Amino acid sequence: MAPTTTQTSPIDFERIFHPKRIAIVGVSQEGLGFGAGIFVSLRLIGFEGEIFLVNPKGGELNGEPIHRSVEEIPRAIDFAIIAVAARAVPEVLEACRLKGAAGAEIFSSGFKELGTAEGIALEQEIVRVAARGIRVIGPNCFGIYCPRSGLTVLPGPDLSRETGPVAFSSQSGGMAVDFANAGKSVGLKFSKVVSFGNGCDLRETELLDYYREDPETGLVAMYIEGIRDGDAFFESLRRTTARKPVIVNKGGLSAAGRRAVQSHTASMGGSREIWQSILRQANAVQVGDMGEMVQTCLAFSLLPPQTFHNITVLGGGGALGVAAADLAENFGLQIPAFEPDLAGRIDELLPKPGSSPGNPVDVANPFVPPKTLKAIMRLAAGDPRIDLQIFTSLLHHYKNMAMLTGRPIKAVTPYLELADDIREVAAETGKPIVVILSNPKSGPDHLDVVDMFVDARRAFIERGIPVFAELRDALRAIGHLNAYYERKS
Amino acid sequence: MNKDQALQLIETARKEGRKTLSEYEAKQVLTAWDIPVTREILVGDRAALAGALNAIGFPLVMKGCAAEIAHKTEKNLVRVDVRGEAEAVAAFDGIMAGLDGKGGVLVQEMIGGRRELVMGLTRDPQFGACVMFGLGGIFTEILKDISFRKAPLEHHDAMEMMGDIKGHKILEAVRGMPAADTGALADMLIRIGQIGVEIEAVAEIDLNPVILDGARPVAVDALIVVK
Repeated sequence: MAPTTTQTSPIDFERIFHPKRIAIVGVSQEGLGFGAGIFVSLRLIGFEGEIFLVNPKGGELNGEPIHRSVEEIPRAIDFAIIAVAARAVPEVLEACRLKGAAGAEIFSSGFKELGTAEGIALEQEIVRVAARGIRVIGPNCFGIYCPRSGLTVLPGPDLSRETGPVAFSSQSGGMAVDFANAGKSVGLKFSKVVSFGNGCDLRETELLDYYREDPETGLVAMYIEGIRDGDAFFESLRRTTARKPVIVNKGGLSAAGRRAVQSHTASMGGSREIWQSILRQANAVQVGDMGEMVQTCLAFSLLPPQTFHNITVLGGGGALGVAAADLAENFGLQIPAFEPDLAGRIDELLPKPGSSPGNPVDVANPFVPPKTLKAIMRLAAGDPRIDLQIFTSLLHHYKNMAMLTGRPIKAVTPYLELADDIREVAAETGKPIVVILSNPKSGPDHLDVVDMFVDARRAFIERGIPVFAELRDALRAIGHLNAYYERKS
Repeated sequence: MNKDQALQLIETARKEGRKTLSEYEAKQVLTAWDIPVTREILVGDRAALAGALNAIGFPLVMKGCAAEIAHKTEKNLVRVDVRGEAEAVAAFDGIMAGLDGKGGVLVQEMIGGRRELVMGLTRDPQFGACVMFGLGGIFTEILKDISFRKAPLEHHDAMEMMGDIKGHKILEAVRGMPAADTGALADMLIRIGQIGVEIEAVAEIDLNPVILDGARPVAVDALIVVK
């Protein structure tokens, strides 16, 4: 059994997430391997603190001297990054502890995950060292990404330095890197990302406890395979969701082991059913995969903390309206028809023929000027039932206009004007507007369209407007938001 | 039966190396936690039958009752809607023959009602005692329309479980049947959770079906697995 961990004081977490001096133990002069990789990544992302490199062979890397041992480092350190062979890890960890490190992340693998007696024994050795006064992230992980301090996970030299509300912890290193990257590309901003691998010391529950109190963290996302202590996790989860949203992606649900059971109750209690129920009981938001997790975090970070039940859908194409109505129902959202008077006033603004002023509003063609759309959204927000508006853009059609006029697509697409107008209407009406940027023109012939979309998305996000690639993604994320805030009391 | 006696009963079963309590024993345990069960009398010989018939009243249900019998229906050990003394005596003899002398016959009030629910307790390897609620009878396995909560349950957890299942409308007033007493159902779920929290030796509980007798829920069959 793992020993019970002691509560780490906030000041220790401060030194772990924002270290002034770190050691990277296990760098090779050849510049290959995890140690050198993380050194380069830290330099590229712009970590401002001091970095001490360690390798018994000495030498230098990119002009930085390599110390022969942790003991040789001339100063005390706050944090250590360990990437040496598994057998050497406990001794190195102890040396880092003696150097004053509050914590260490251990990239090395070759521990419990192997299932061998030696691996298990080595991991127990790490736990014993940790108990003497150094907190351990890992082993078998990619470590911490903290934009404020410039700590980054292993292949993460190009992650954002912008800090934001999303904290993430993950058993999987790959998931941590992918989530940080996917998040960056849709405009998520992170407070902390922790990949904790085998989680022999710090893991989901203690990190959750920390995120709950962390003023920089507004919402928490987690990727979980297994947990160490169900009761402690549940309690921590419940206390956290009372203050902040927690979004959970539980992996490995299909691999529920079969047990010898005699009752219906037990035979029905597979891991999927229990996890689903427990997460609901604790008012955590359960998502099925990383994409859904990104979209849900986006909705939680950019929309105000409340429920949205009645929405408008505004955009081009009658079929889109039908699809929206069908989809909305699945996620418990209503698209109430406008009163005749309001529909009439909207109708006056719409191009003829082919448009439809009810709700959903079909604007009939993709080239309706932003100021007309703005006027429609302003009117629609006047319906007192409406909580939120969704605008489905057809920006990809501007490719045709670009070809007709011989100008680049970025020059003919009014996305900046649209973004300004949407921000203005949302601010003035107090009703958020969510934008859908679907792009059917994403093939190799349309890289100009792809490029325009990247700019358009950035323009919207910079104005605090949430952007989703598909209507379904947006509605599902809003459904999650509703479920959380409805149950939070 | 009070809680101490219930604990004693469970201890005795374990000492005998048994994995399950008989239906009669299980319902006694449930009664100690104020969970509503059918009125019933366990009859070991023909001489005691008449008294039981009198006490319960017709129509009634008769079931073979022994510790290790989990599937009474499949083994032809259940007679429902027994309406007279002659029928009851024949049923008694038939069931006793099927039991090979082990156990006795449970003479049980017949609960009228078409809505069947299931409730239970399982111990999840990660979350410990978890309470289950869902559609009962044959629908339990076919529809798998169920919800769980980690014990101990609060009232709102229990109420939410009922809302979780897709078939939750079955609890509303439908086709001349009154709305289910959801307060009573919630109490049952909370108490099942308490049993799980208070008695580590209880591994599983299965109340299937719990029948809605009008608005009032009653556990008609019960299984308790011990470890």
